[in-house]
Amino acid sequence: MTDPEADPLREELERCVGKPLSDSGPALSPDEVNLPMIRHWVDALDDRNPVYLDGERAASSRFGGIVAPPAMLQTWTMARPQIEGIAERGGSAGEISADSPITRLAEAGYTGTLATNSELEFARYLHPGDRLQATTVLESISERKRTAIGQGYFVTWVTTYTDQDGATVGRQKFRILKFDPGSAGAAA
Amino acid sequence: MRPATDTIRFHDLSVGDAIPPLELPVTATVIVAGAIASRDFMPVHHDRGYATAQGAPDIFMNILTTNGYVSRFVTDWAGPEAMLQSISIRLGAPAIPDKVLRFTGEIADTREEAGLGVVAIAVRVANDLGDHATGTVVLSLPLEKSS
Repeated sequence: MTDPEADPLREELERCVGKPLSDSGPALSPDEVNLPMIRHWVDALDDRNPVYLDGERAASSRFGGIVAPPAMLQTWTMARPQIEGIAERGGSAGEISADSPITRLAEAGYTGTLATNSELEFARYLHPGDRLQATTVLESISERKRTAIGQGYFVTWVTTYTDQDGATVGRQKFRILKFDPGSAGAAA
Repeated sequence: MRPATDTIRFHDLSVGDAIPPLELPVTATVIVAGAIASRDFMPVHHDRGYATAQGAPDIFMNILTTNGYVSRFVTDWAGPEAMLQSISIRLGAPAIPDKVLRFTGEIADTREEAGLGVVAIAVRVANDLGDHATGTVVLSLPLEKSS
């Protein structure tokens, strides 16, 4: 159900739609796509697809050489974590930009976060040596909704991953519910 | 036996075919190994005290790892020549230690496109708390030469 009354917070956040989620610009991956990180992932998930580590088998495959597991797409550009204080920052790898829509929602009491949807698209598989850049844009913010876990807003963003030549290699659409944990079960 | 060493043949597939299920006994180690391999250091994925203070029943699997297992589940069956085009999932119940995750899937669509066989698979990942992830994986297969 949707609240009919005016919503100044949403109006403010609506102005961020179509703009980058962070003011710090695109995120450049700390490292190129590389074999040690692929091996770490393959072992952690016990994924024995030979095109990830078997050079000979991969060379004769449609990929023409070793490729990274596609679901690693997001891993390459993950921010380098600042471990000290990570719990106090709610798990964020680094300092959070104060004017991000997510920060604004948290300040307004919508402190809870529940991921609801992930849509990954792969234009091509990545090879060792590829260097990725990620650009994240706020796609939409819903009206305030009442849900079983509290009132909140569905926030959707799209991250576009480009390679060293500027070509798009993949995309992720991600939706979260930012909710007020104190409003669960509030009367409609 | 997994993973498949040979790639499935596109023309052998039919809508409605089930793909072999995967059962993953989730432990704290499985969750932490996936979180760190995906470079996700959020405490909810490795620190039980932190996770329970946030209202979660225990540490829980991060989404990158869920996507990684969905990818493995599908390519364990499809074989090394399969290329994923997309993984779209709706997220539900958390994947937590000591609850087996059961991956099941069924072919939802097949079509030929740009010289490739494109297969959509409806996937469901569940434990005894409910559906952890449901959605669709689309992959392409090289078409075998007609003889």
